[in-house]
Amino acid sequence: MKTDTMRTFWKRPGRSRVSLPLLILMAYVVLAVAGSLIAPQNPYDPLQIYAWESSSSPGTAGSGGYTYLLGTDGLGRDIFSTVLYGLRISLFVAFTSTALAAFIGVTAGVTAAYAGKLGDALIMRIVDLQLSLPTILVALIAIVTLGPGIDRIILALVIVQWATYARVTRGVAMSEASKSYLDAAHLLRLPARRIIFRHLLPNSIAPAITLVPIELGHAVALEATLSFLGLGVPIDKPSLGSAVANGFQYLLTGQYWISLFPGLALFGLIASINFVGEDVRRRLDPRSR
Amino acid sequence: MEQQEHHEPLLLVENLTLKHQGAAAATTILRDVSLELRRGEILGLIGESGAGKSTLGNAVLGLLASGFSQTGGRILFEGRAINELSDKQRMELRGRRISAIFQDHTASLDPLMSVGSQIVETIKALDDAVTSRLAKSQALQLMERVGIPDPATRFGHYPHQFSGGQRQRIVIAIALAGRPDIIVADEPTSALDATVQKQILALLRNLTDETGVSLILVTHDMGVISEIADRVVVMRHGKVVEHGATSSILDTPAEAYTKDLLAAVPRLRVVPANSQITDGPRSVDPQTKVVPQATLDQNPILRVKDVTKIYAGHSFPWLRRGPQSPALRDVSIELARGSITGIVGESGSGKSTMGRIVAGLETAGRGSLDLNGRQFDISLAGKKNGLLGQVQMIFQDPAMSLNPRMSIGAALEESVWFASRETPSDRQDVGEMMDRLGLPRSLLLSYPHQLSGGQKQRVCIARALLANPSIIVADEPTSALDVSVQADIVRLLKKTVSERGVSMLFISHDLALVQDLCSEIYIFKDGVVEDAGSADFIFSKSQNPYTRRLIDARPGRFTH
Repeated sequence: MKTDTMRTFWKRPGRSRVSLPLLILMAYVVLAVAGSLIAPQNPYDPLQIYAWESSSSPGTAGSGGYTYLLGTDGLGRDIFSTVLYGLRISLFVAFTSTALAAFIGVTAGVTAAYAGKLGDALIMRIVDLQLSLPTILVALIAIVTLGPGIDRIILALVIVQWATYARVTRGVAMSEASKSYLDAAHLLRLPARRIIFRHLLPNSIAPAITLVPIELGHAVALEATLSFLGLGVPIDKPSLGSAVANGFQYLLTGQYWISLFPGLALFGLIASINFVGEDVRRRLDPRSR
Repeated sequence: MEQQEHHEPLLLVENLTLKHQGAAAATTILRDVSLELRRGEILGLIGESGAGKSTLGNAVLGLLASGFSQTGGRILFEGRAINELSDKQRMELRGRRISAIFQDHTASLDPLMSVGSQIVETIKALDDAVTSRLAKSQALQLMERVGIPDPATRFGHYPHQFSGGQRQRIVIAIALAGRPDIIVADEPTSALDATVQKQILALLRNLTDETGVSLILVTHDMGVISEIADRVVVMRHGKVVEHGATSSILDTPAEAYTKDLLAAVPRLRVVPANSQITDGPRSVDPQTKVVPQATLDQNPILRVKDVTKIYAGHSFPWLRRGPQSPALRDVSIELARGSITGIVGESGSGKSTMGRIVAGLETAGRGSLDLNGRQFDISLAGKKNGLLGQVQMIFQDPAMSLNPRMSIGAALEESVWFASRETPSDRQDVGEMMDRLGLPRSLLLSYPHQLSGGQKQRVCIARALLANPSIIVADEPTSALDVSVQADIVRLLKKTVSERGVSMLFISHDLALVQDLCSEIYIFKDGVVEDAGSADFIFSKSQNPYTRRLIDARPGRFTH
């Protein structure tokens, strides 16, 4: 069944697989991975920064033998380089947290469906509680409790996101659990681990997979929000959100580029992820065909 | 007049060829199909799944899904080709002149609308001139006509307040609303119990006789055909195998395939109940409903006593509404070693619940269960009392009883693992079992969706056997299969039991199937054992009125 889904995904007639958003997203990923090679400057190495060239407007020639394509910020850091370095952190945090959240959420959902009664009630009430609170609030509480650091912010994003996967997966797993192949598995007294991971999970995972691209966009946005608020990635580890925050105070003085370009990069990233995500969801979801 | 009608058929299908464009390639669904339908007759379209019979029905209705294309031939309704009509003309035709009855009576009705309004809505949609009052009185007449008692009260009721048979009657009423010339009925009784099926078929026959409507009856069941069809078209792989008057097809089938179809249908051999009553003590006392114990085996492998099971309803007691009706009430059954015992009943009789309790998949409030001389506390979950795993099951729908993401080999190895508590190093056991059940070993690497229904059910049998159970519970193992495959599976089960000495509890709604297979039969009704005894006793001597009704309800001329 899975192979069928994947086949129709790739062989859907009449529509090109490669879209503009996908190309943009791929460009983002390439830029993020190869960022340190492309960037003319490491904006977090004080030795490479010429502090007297702070707040240069875009296009100014710098002393390092390269042009500040997007200008510099108040500390003299090249905005273009900041964006490339920030992109790397932002994407790393988003991909890692989404993958972890999906895994944990799916496992929790399937386990709830398998356990039934008390176990189900316990897991799903935690999920309900979590989903009843605003995302940003949960993330803020988590960050404040956990403290700063990239690993902490990934953890915070996982805490925010796993519940969605758990709820979606649990519904499907419940209906799978009522099918007779599960009865057959029980009759063979298979260990719970095997029933959950070999029987229930592979047959309940499809809706969660369609959720991944959408949640990935959420993760990028949420990480940027937290960083903007100064609660996310630490100051010495750049992210797009903190880059936007850096220029916030200069906006009114006319030095628009410090916030604008990281902001635009963020906008393009989230938009392309959402477009690609929507496309993937449409292709994978049998109901919309 | 007969002659004239013969020359001017109401519906004529000439050399119809239909193709379906799939993702990869186009497949021919119908090949050169011709048939004619006369006014006031019932034409049966019979075939196994994939025969193209439903597609033909939909083509007549003009309801083909996208992807279908008509590449040859034509369908003429009163001399006009249906496929040459505009969409608008086709809409006019559909509903007003040609209407439909589908199998699933639940899906055919809007659950949020009273049945009366649904009939009125149809009447108004088909006749712009009709007033609301007139439409309502017509709707009431229709409800009366299809046999809904007290139509005035029932008019405002919602579909869930009707039984399955009554819902199908409402669907028939809606189909009649436009006074159509043709009704296409696609498996109209397949979702119904045997006794209800019989009534619905009688209603359809009645309606065609009285109103002159013609019926195209699409079915897989020879019994249904023999019951009411005037003429039959036998289809296979999109082609017409044979057609002719029902009696001649049934008595003297010309084609081998038709003969196979007829041979595959389980038949009842019944001696009239009043012929001889010698075996008195085994029948049920109608007053006390006490069933005499089967006394064939002093040491049965399974002895279930006085099992009562009540479904709890809502988990908060104060939210439970109404009295709880038990799924099973004081039910006792026995299964003799190495035999097949049948449990027969209509839906809701508790027969499947009994099977699941025996397998340890469900608990029971009260009762005792004795398996192989060991007592199990069935108020506990099967995992706790150790019952789970002693019994294996074969389920009704083979499509749902195999994990779609697991290869056949891996699925069977789980059984071997269960029986021996070690992962098989070589697939010797599995391979031998495949050979014995007539499955090619190459299937071990396949996934369930690559197998036919019959093959899947064989794999399920293999899975049950490899686990070395003392009892196998087979819950309607053939109901989801085509008739010709059904016979194979029944033969296989019979062979398995005699060769391997397994005991089997065979649960079915079909008396005819059970007759040849089972030595002892229990008849369940509304959660109690209504009748019990040897197969011989049940079919020829039992005087229990419900048993008699079940035997008589089997449609068709196969009860002789």
